[in-house]
Amino acid sequence: MKRKTITFLKLALCGMLTTFAVTGCGSSADTGKTEIEIVQYKPEAANYFTKVEEAFNATHDDIHLTISSPNDAMTILRTRFIREDYPDIIGIGGDINYSYFVDAEILSDVSDYPGLADIKQAYIDIGEALEFVPKEGTFAVPYVANAAGVLYNRDMFEEHGWKIPETWEELNLLCDAIQAEGIQPFYFGFKDTWTCLAPWNAMAVDLSPADTTKQVNRGQTTFTTEYRELSERYLSLLQYGPADPFAYNYNDACTAFARGESAMYPIGSYAVPQILSVNPDLNVDSFVMPASDTKDGNTLNSGIDLQFCVTADCPNKEAAYEVLDFLLADENLQQYIDAQNAVPCKNGDFKLAPMLDGMSEYIVAGNMTDYQDHYYPAEMAVDAQLQTFLLNKDVDAFLAKFDSDWQRYNRDIIRMVQEYEKQNGSAGAQ
Amino acid sequence: MKNDRQRTFLMITIPILALFICFNTIPLIRGVIYSFTNFKGFGSYNWVGFRNYIDLFSDGRVGKSYLFTFKLAIVTTVVVNVLSLVLALALNSKIRAKSFFRGAYFLPNILGALVVGYIFNYFFTYILPAVANMMGMNSTSILSDPKSAWIGIVVVCAWQAIAMNTIIYISGLQTVPEDVYEAGGLDGATGWKQFKYLTFPLIIPFFSINMVLCVKNFLMVFDQIMALTKGGPAQSTESISYLIYNNGMSGGQFGFQSANAVVFFIVIACVSVAQMKFSSSKEEQL
Amino acid sequence: MTETKKLKASVYGPMVFLILGLSTIIFPLYMTVMIAFKQPSEMTNSISGILSLPKTWSLANFREAMVVTDFWRSLGNSLLITACTVALSLALHSLMGYALGRNKAHSKFYSFVYLFIVSGMFVPFAILMMPLAKQTAELHLANWAGVIILYVVFYMPMNILLYSGYLVNIPIALEEAARVDGASTWTTYWKIIFPIMKPMHATVAVLTALAVWNDVMTPLVIMAGSGKNTLPLAQLNFQSQFGTNYNLAFASYLLSLVPILIFYIVCQKQILNGVVNGAVK
Repeated sequence: MKRKTITFLKLALCGMLTTFAVTGCGSSADTGKTEIEIVQYKPEAANYFTKVEEAFNATHDDIHLTISSPNDAMTILRTRFIREDYPDIIGIGGDINYSYFVDAEILSDVSDYPGLADIKQAYIDIGEALEFVPKEGTFAVPYVANAAGVLYNRDMFEEHGWKIPETWEELNLLCDAIQAEGIQPFYFGFKDTWTCLAPWNAMAVDLSPADTTKQVNRGQTTFTTEYRELSERYLSLLQYGPADPFAYNYNDACTAFARGESAMYPIGSYAVPQILSVNPDLNVDSFVMPASDTKDGNTLNSGIDLQFCVTADCPNKEAAYEVLDFLLADENLQQYIDAQNAVPCKNGDFKLAPMLDGMSEYIVAGNMTDYQDHYYPAEMAVDAQLQTFLLNKDVDAFLAKFDSDWQRYNRDIIRMVQEYEKQNGSAGAQ
Repeated sequence: MKNDRQRTFLMITIPILALFICFNTIPLIRGVIYSFTNFKGFGSYNWVGFRNYIDLFSDGRVGKSYLFTFKLAIVTTVVVNVLSLVLALALNSKIRAKSFFRGAYFLPNILGALVVGYIFNYFFTYILPAVANMMGMNSTSILSDPKSAWIGIVVVCAWQAIAMNTIIYISGLQTVPEDVYEAGGLDGATGWKQFKYLTFPLIIPFFSINMVLCVKNFLMVFDQIMALTKGGPAQSTESISYLIYNNGMSGGQFGFQSANAVVFFIVIACVSVAQMKFSSSKEEQL
Repeated sequence: MTETKKLKASVYGPMVFLILGLSTIIFPLYMTVMIAFKQPSEMTNSISGILSLPKTWSLANFREAMVVTDFWRSLGNSLLITACTVALSLALHSLMGYALGRNKAHSKFYSFVYLFIVSGMFVPFAILMMPLAKQTAELHLANWAGVIILYVVFYMPMNILLYSGYLVNIPIALEEAARVDGASTWTTYWKIIFPIMKPMHATVAVLTALAVWNDVMTPLVIMAGSGKNTLPLAQLNFQSQFGTNYNLAFASYLLSLVPILIFYIVCQKQILNGVVNGAVK
């Protein structure tokens, strides 16, 4: 018995040494093709990207494309960056990570990419605005956007004759009417802190300037001034939700809404697949969050959900552009839109998912504003602060903390912005 | 002869120590270097001197996370050690279906975090309040109240950790020879007395191993927080590891959180070394 | 008469306790199995709904979970990594535990090395993550071999703690007897000490295997971009921020639970058969 254990150990060790030696030598064969690697951060779209990858490789002899859609892509990207092992193209969202990457000069200027001409100007502008300080060039090709507002149960609305509200007052009246029928107007899943940001973002675009954070960075205003009305209105929504919204997580809320336990659910279009998986027959539509007092004051909360950036390290930009052309081809983009209920960033005649019907007016008119939280640094945990605020219901304390934390977490960025302002100011004076 | 023995010990120690230094100490030193920068995890960075460390001591969130983590670790360590010692004694006694019970009690340790998170969320959100309501109490999920959410985390941590500590206690109980009990039985030592005077002193090395492992595991608690509360409600369950990982890896505070990790490492190392010194002095007394 | 009564009490007491405790395990397990067999459309927020039996008993979820995770290949990678780590840990950590455990009481050097290594246990992984990602890439170890080496280093502190703790109860007289017979320390170790520590080997094997089997972060960071998956990495596919397929995920977790449970049951037998029979003679 004793012998056996030791013999086993010896065998195992020998076996391992051999495998180490073998794998050490094995490197990928050189096929003579240009290799292009994409890492994109939306694992839910993995099936689509596998199909695109196959289609591309079947039609191209000179370029071999690999697309990976890992879960937790941000961790993977960061570890690969630190190893200086850059993919050729990265697919990421238009959020503060993108701002960091531009600032770190990881991405290359793609303003010479002809396909940019077909991208809607609104989204190019959103991308530019994400740069901490204006930088020469364009660093991303926006692919698709998402939209956040209020999802509603279309059948329930029709049955009771409720109309889509267009102002803050109408929304409140509607909620009262729904409550009067014994139905709960909203469902919230505030146990998952990130869901606290959904209504917040959707209302913020109506109630505060799109560049609030930039104004604060320049020292021109404070959040206490810009976010007060927003905070108060957000707080008043709580009365239309479940008694203890902090007990339920995102998944609970999706399930409850799918089962008809509430008439509306203020969340982005990304939640629709999860809702439909529970109840495939649910008739879902969405409308723009009417947080403003007038209809003209409302705007659709929409940001870049997926954009492609060529890394500065990419040796073969021509090939990368060819891949981008293929991804942006109308029939491929339409497939993505169908699979993910997304909004295309490209001009053209695309068929949108039915749950975006109530928002199409805004989408067609290009009346949209980026998420405020795309400018918030993750480590400031605005989502958790919002949850705290909704629990404690203290507007003043929340705003004061928001302002002081903002200064602390954005120190380096604020310094950079103010230096830039000083330089450009003096340049103007000369 | 004596020298030969010493040489063998050195031949064993040096290469393994070298391996350890190469993949633990050197990366740690590199990490410590980052703690003096404003590194975000990528791109360029600047030296900021002791700014991160100064910030650390003035950061309310970090202070709160220390209080929470220590409260959790102490309570859970006590709960886990008491329960797993009782469990190990029970599993080691002459019972039927021993293998079945041992297998069953091992299960909590291998269920993935996603499963544990879902089941316990369901339990705390829907089942427990319903049971409380049936008993005439008006209650809601304990995870939604900043005052009680930590209890939920203690429950889940303990539920998962008991398996591992029990295994260690069981293997400790194997080192207690039968004749000790027989001799003790003649002296009339049974039950609690037998445990206190015979069994426990003999498994003190395992008790101290378990204490150290518990304190370490629960001070570094992360998975259970992610599965249950993600730091909420109202940031009341943010553990130190949660802050280090979330703000350092996912956020842009790599340098600052490296400083946090360095301080945290020193704190746990001191606590544990003190613990080991204490228990080894106990062992020597025996 | 009283003797047998007493004996009965000492048997039934633990039994009752164990059965009561078992309910805290059976209930979550029941929920897991039910969810693994249900369809997403059967998920509800009501208690009766979650505890009800699935409409149909079909293995479809398990089949699909195996496809999504590329089960056999991921399982192979996980088995390879776990087996290598456990084998290396038993060999290296027991040796190191022996060298340190036998010397730390009387030598400043060894007691320093002991504390040095054990305190390595308290280094938060987050601080090592980035430097290790860089270092393994520089050494061309950004693959499963690198992951194994890292595991051997990560679990060294815990295992050394366990081994040297166990050695306290193994009388040094055993070795001295062998030495009188002219055996070298090295031979004595493999012939006498190593086999005697069998219960501890089984414990270390279980704890190390379990930690490796469930670990996500190390392979995620080290093997990123290598195109290889372990089971926990593949299981990440079931969850994303905006939607989680709990039914498939639960089926997959139940599948991956089986190998490690079998391994545990095998090792558990070894923990029992050890010292009581062999050592103290």
